[in-house]
Amino acid sequence: MRRSRAPMWLAGAVLAFLWLPIAVLVAHSFNASRFGGQWTGFTLVWYERLFTAADVWRALANTLVVAFGSTAIATVLGTTAALALDRYRSRLQDVHHLLVHAPLVVPEILLGISLLLFFVALRLPLGMTTLVAAHVTFCVSYVTLVVLGRLQDFDWTLLDAAQDLGADGWTAARRVLLPLLAPGIAAGALLAFTLSVDDFVITFFVSGPGTTTLPLRIYSMIKHGSPPIINALSTLLLALTVTTVWFSQRLLKEAR
Amino acid sequence: MKPWIVRAALVTLAIVASLGCAKRETPVLHVYTWADYIKPEVVQRFERENRCRVVIDTYDSNEAMYAKLKAGATGYDLLTPSSYQVQVLEKQGMLQPLDHSRLPNLVNVDRDYLAIAIDSGMVHSVPYMLTNTGVGYLRSKVGELEPTWAVFDRSDLKGRMTMLNDMRETIGAALKSLGYSLNSTDSLQLEQAKDVVLRWKRNLAKFENEQYKGGLASGEFVVVHGYNGDLMQARAENPDIAFFAPREGLSLSCDDLVIPKDAKQVELAHRFIDFLHDPEVAAENSVAIQYLCPNSASYDRLPADFMNDPALRLAPEVRARSEVIRDLGSDLVKYTRIWDVIKATP
Repeated sequence: MRRSRAPMWLAGAVLAFLWLPIAVLVAHSFNASRFGGQWTGFTLVWYERLFTAADVWRALANTLVVAFGSTAIATVLGTTAALALDRYRSRLQDVHHLLVHAPLVVPEILLGISLLLFFVALRLPLGMTTLVAAHVTFCVSYVTLVVLGRLQDFDWTLLDAAQDLGADGWTAARRVLLPLLAPGIAAGALLAFTLSVDDFVITFFVSGPGTTTLPLRIYSMIKHGSPPIINALSTLLLALTVTTVWFSQRLLKEAR
Repeated sequence: MKPWIVRAALVTLAIVASLGCAKRETPVLHVYTWADYIKPEVVQRFERENRCRVVIDTYDSNEAMYAKLKAGATGYDLLTPSSYQVQVLEKQGMLQPLDHSRLPNLVNVDRDYLAIAIDSGMVHSVPYMLTNTGVGYLRSKVGELEPTWAVFDRSDLKGRMTMLNDMRETIGAALKSLGYSLNSTDSLQLEQAKDVVLRWKRNLAKFENEQYKGGLASGEFVVVHGYNGDLMQARAENPDIAFFAPREGLSLSCDDLVIPKDAKQVELAHRFIDFLHDPEVAAENSVAIQYLCPNSASYDRLPADFMNDPALRLAPEVRARSEVIRDLGSDLVKYTRIWDVIKATP
């Protein structure tokens, strides 16, 4: 029997759907036209402008600080939350479960405004602290759910076995539990990082003076300023990501 | 502990410590504004002269900025909302009155503009950048046009023209074409304006706020009603694009410099406002960001092509007939009702 060609076409269509917009973006970063409606010639002017746009770089730095900070905190909190949810069943854990799901279903704008009102009520000055705290709030749920998924096929008897062989609780956790959970934790952390870098609505409300992040800057530039600079920046970030992934894969191969 | 952890910790400590020191030594002015709205070199000069740091944060709409401040966000020392939003902020008691004794450069502000401004006495706000709403067109397709709103009556250009999808702008244009105020609340005048827009609508491709720039640059549309900033960007791309300011008058809009009630660096904010109205600085800023700073003393420092550009500077008699769109309060519903009829009529 001949195998159907449909999966191949479908995969091709999905890949095109995912990658064509990025290809268009990369192409437009070299387009002389400001609007991107038509091709008006090759230019490097957007890259030139990008390198002198101090505000954009400051916004990028802010974004990365927030993303790394909130990912680190959310990963630790999310992993421990997942362990607690998986291990213990009680009325309290049901509430916990509900709380973890809440940020996923509450509309972002509601979360943003209520966090802002909360910070104002606490008299916390808006800035990096409030920004990281707000990002942790929604990132933690995603990390928890991803790690929880990983825990579902985790064999707890392995931990008992480790302890039978003389490992204390901490050693067992470090040498058995964490390595087995690592892929889940890493996936959760990556998801948290992406969400944090992306976020606009919540960030808009809880950011303070001096902490404009890249998404905020980009939205303002669409109204006033030159969006093509952002195409150039995205292209550079994309190139950086692709090189990093390629490099790490090569390292992994060599290690093997 | 691993040595790299120690090193990283030390570096972090050093950075945190230096940040702390910097904060104590130099005052920081927090400006909340649109992206690319002040020339960076101008800001650097202010920082040098006043031994301070200026931190600029950006917003993308008056409404979003207002919502955030209203909810209680603080820490900003200077804002640049549009005049109508200044009116709202002021009504809510969110602004400080300005101390004119600290603003000697206010004598330079354009008196003609102030005459029609909402805050004519500059009690709470100082005008920063003027924009207007006019008409852009393709010279090669329609030739040189008479500067009048009646261009939208040309049925030979049917389907190749757009007007803004903004009731105040478009009904305002119709009111102006009839010789009325664009802030009119007279039902009879508004009824006449409705008929004018309906007549124009038959010739329009659509009411449109975003794509008209690209559409004009690419030749899809030949005459568009639009904001001067957008049309100048389109013109930079396609030199065939020309701009006219209808002689019946048009809508002006201004972004104003205001100090919020809870600003910490009030003194420095005043100095920055004054600095932006230094004739030299105002001229440099206007050329860089391509809007007109209403500062009379700066006008003769502007290059001739900038001053003669109808997109940037209106002829005095057109300017005299132009107006700022005001917040109409409960009368706005009259506009909404007409606009609904216009949009619903095929």
